[in-house]
Amino acid sequence: MIRLGNAATIGLMALSRIAQLIAVILLIATFNFVLVRAAPGDPAQVMAGQSGASDPKLLEDLRKEYGLDKPYVVQLASYLGRVVKLDLGYSYRQRRPVADLVLERLPATLLLTVTAFCLALLIGTTLGALAGLAAGTVLDTVFTVLSLVLYATPVFWLGLMLVLVFSVTLGWLPPFGYETINVKLSPIERALDVAKHLIMPVTSLAAIYLAIYARLMRSSIIEVAQQDFIKTARAKGLTGPSIVFGHMLRNALVPVVTVAGMQAGALVGGAVVIETVFAWPGLGRLTFDALLQRDYPVLLGIFLILSIVVIVLNLLTDLIYKLIDPRMTTGAA
Amino acid sequence: MRGTVQAMAPVLSVENLSIALPDGGDRPFAVENVSFEVKPNEVVCLVGESGSGKSMIAHALLSLLPKGVAVASGTVMVAGKNPVELDRQALRRLRGGDAAMIFQEPLSSLNPLKRVGKQIEEMILTHQEPTPSASEVYDRVQQLLTQVGLPNPKLLEKSYPFELSGGQRQRVMIAMAMANRPALLIADEPTTALDVTTQRQILGLIDDLRRDRGMGVLLITHDFGVVADVADRVVVLRHGKVVEQGTVEEVLRHPKADYTRELIDAVPKARLDQINRKDVHSEPLLEVIGLQKTFRVKRGFLQPPREVVAADGISLTLHEGETLAVVGESGSGKSTLGRMILRLTEPDDGAIRFNGQDLRRLRGEALRQARKQLQIVFQDPFASLDPRQKIGDAIARGPMAFGTSRAEAMEQAKKLLMRVGLSAVAADRYPHEFSGGQRQRICIARALALKPRVLIADEAVSALDVSVQAQVLALLAELRKEMKLAMVFITHDLRIAAEIADRVIVLQKGRIVEEGATADVFIAPQATYTRDLLDAIPGRNFFDQPGFANETGKIPTARMSS
Repeated sequence: MIRLGNAATIGLMALSRIAQLIAVILLIATFNFVLVRAAPGDPAQVMAGQSGASDPKLLEDLRKEYGLDKPYVVQLASYLGRVVKLDLGYSYRQRRPVADLVLERLPATLLLTVTAFCLALLIGTTLGALAGLAAGTVLDTVFTVLSLVLYATPVFWLGLMLVLVFSVTLGWLPPFGYETINVKLSPIERALDVAKHLIMPVTSLAAIYLAIYARLMRSSIIEVAQQDFIKTARAKGLTGPSIVFGHMLRNALVPVVTVAGMQAGALVGGAVVIETVFAWPGLGRLTFDALLQRDYPVLLGIFLILSIVVIVLNLLTDLIYKLIDPRMTTGAA
Repeated sequence: MRGTVQAMAPVLSVENLSIALPDGGDRPFAVENVSFEVKPNEVVCLVGESGSGKSMIAHALLSLLPKGVAVASGTVMVAGKNPVELDRQALRRLRGGDAAMIFQEPLSSLNPLKRVGKQIEEMILTHQEPTPSASEVYDRVQQLLTQVGLPNPKLLEKSYPFELSGGQRQRVMIAMAMANRPALLIADEPTTALDVTTQRQILGLIDDLRRDRGMGVLLITHDFGVVADVADRVVVLRHGKVVEQGTVEEVLRHPKADYTRELIDAVPKARLDQINRKDVHSEPLLEVIGLQKTFRVKRGFLQPPREVVAADGISLTLHEGETLAVVGESGSGKSTLGRMILRLTEPDDGAIRFNGQDLRRLRGEALRQARKQLQIVFQDPFASLDPRQKIGDAIARGPMAFGTSRAEAMEQAKKLLMRVGLSAVAADRYPHEFSGGQRQRICIARALALKPRVLIADEAVSALDVSVQAQVLALLAELRKEMKLAMVFITHDLRIAAEIADRVIVLQKGRIVEEGATADVFIAPQATYTRDLLDAIPGRNFFDQPGFANETGKIPTARMSS
């Protein structure tokens, strides 16, 4: 039997995990490539059209210049080769490296999605836990109806309604954008300004997830409350709060973490819509523009970065899962 | 110093207790006019079948009744306090302080995400005032773990429940219950989920702790064997009413109530004289040769997988009309053996010959045809029927898959239902409308619908009450004779094996440690392991059964550890 030190085992586990991740990323890159190329439209034509000329010679030259005349397989191979070297390519529309474009927009998107995710999880599980503990009471009914309404509300509509109420009618919050431009602000003032801009997009994005986590947590709490070990805890003479915090919450969180981990990726996708509604300068807008312009390198770059974000989120979920549930410590995959 | 009178005051007295059920149930009361007492240093057994209200009483003692169920009348005094009248804080002091409780399923009764040491600590910290220091608590936990006979308490304290065996988990539960030196221990079927040998150890432990501390014990059980082994006094319950109570000698030796007598009679016993060794067909119907199976459980990266040997060269033969009991404790590989014979689990090596064919070589249609002749009845009649399928369909689907017309198959299903003691109208009903015993009859009908030649019964009566168990066993015996069925009867309960089998195989860790005619195995066991198992049978001294190796002239005692 090979017995390794604990640190060595964890190190090896991490290494194997990273090797797996690289394989997954390359697979995703290939899939993205095929998907984007399968869409109708010829980037050379889009470019040529913009330049105002449409003679075959120019198209031919453009294709040659960007390697679009070569067979797909060759194009794919050279693309994957560049991905391995962390080179995301060059946008022939914007005349800038794709990496610059994407990294410039990534922080805004992360700020939006991470805030929305944390709020949804925190508020959702809290409300869900309260509803579950008060199952069958008026409080429970109110929470349940509320979460159902939130769940059924389309994200973009909620965004528009918020703008209508809080910006147009009340004038409390800025209707769009990331920050107020053309004003000089101290760092603290600037942070507050960004936060103010953040409120409505985050609320619209978080609403549906908040509802999902609340409903999930509610049923999870109700289920845990019926478990034998809760009866044991009561028979031990523990106080209500120590039963809830010491025995129920952690057990009830297990299914919530599973679902939250899977949905973290979807949340990033949902951000595209919200960013469009609120003119948020994140990856969502960039994706939208690149799609219209058939800007393949930018699209591929965004997809790749988003995939990596999702994979990292999944990895984090696994880790959190292991922290919560000691039974999950076996198995590398 | 306490006066004698005070010392003898009961730690528990229940007077005319009635517990009301919510409206719309099948009866208004779960428990009616129940009275009994538990004195210090006394073990009182509350015996009854499912639905007798025994668990309800236990829960009422600590005010742990489920929502909608409440004490309607009568009084309960636990260590001089009435739980119904206590305020929240006083009730909490009673729970876990004056009286502690342990439950049937130790795995689900412990928080799966908390180290066991922490769970015991909590019990100490909640109750002891002034709050002891961290090192005092640690010492106390170590002391408790040692007292309940757990090895290596330092390491064990840091374990999670899933890392322990069933017996160890129940010991942890007991350690937790003992933390505040309760005057009363309420044990609700504490050994039902455990193997016989573990059961014996746990009962012994409870008994020792009782003696050491002069604690009163209320033990709830359905098993008269357990009663005979540990009880001082017995309360027999039926449908929420006390049928009879008295000392263990009075009740078990001279039962007054018919119901008590029925229950005692229903305890499976070896009737070795009654087993007629008929001349069996010389050709075996089923032959298993050198079966091997090892399960590999994947562990962490680069760690070698954990290997569990379920079968290590198992060979056996089964003749037409013969019943072979396969006995062993959990993890011995007995269920895997049954599954391998049906090819539900693929063996690593070995051969299974059925009616001259090698089952392991069969594929596709030939396998399907062979499988029809080998059927199984599982342990849990609640889980083995599709809740959304009507009983008639459940039974008729098998024959229909082999070409019988629907009308004919349904007709046959109804006949089978009547044969197993149900009515034909049951065909149009759903599984939830039946009791456990009835469902197991349905499962038997389902298995027989295909007219099998071999029936594998995997713990088929283990989940049933003793009286129902006796009925189902009788039914199986009849069917066996009628249909010339060969039966493999898998069980952990040696009493049942002794009652039904012609031959017995004793399995330990995937190996056959003993094999022979039932009478031989029970009268003159050869292997130490078999002897250990036989010794652990609850109540074996009391129900001095023919054949059960009894030390000569030993007077049956009502106490295991004496």
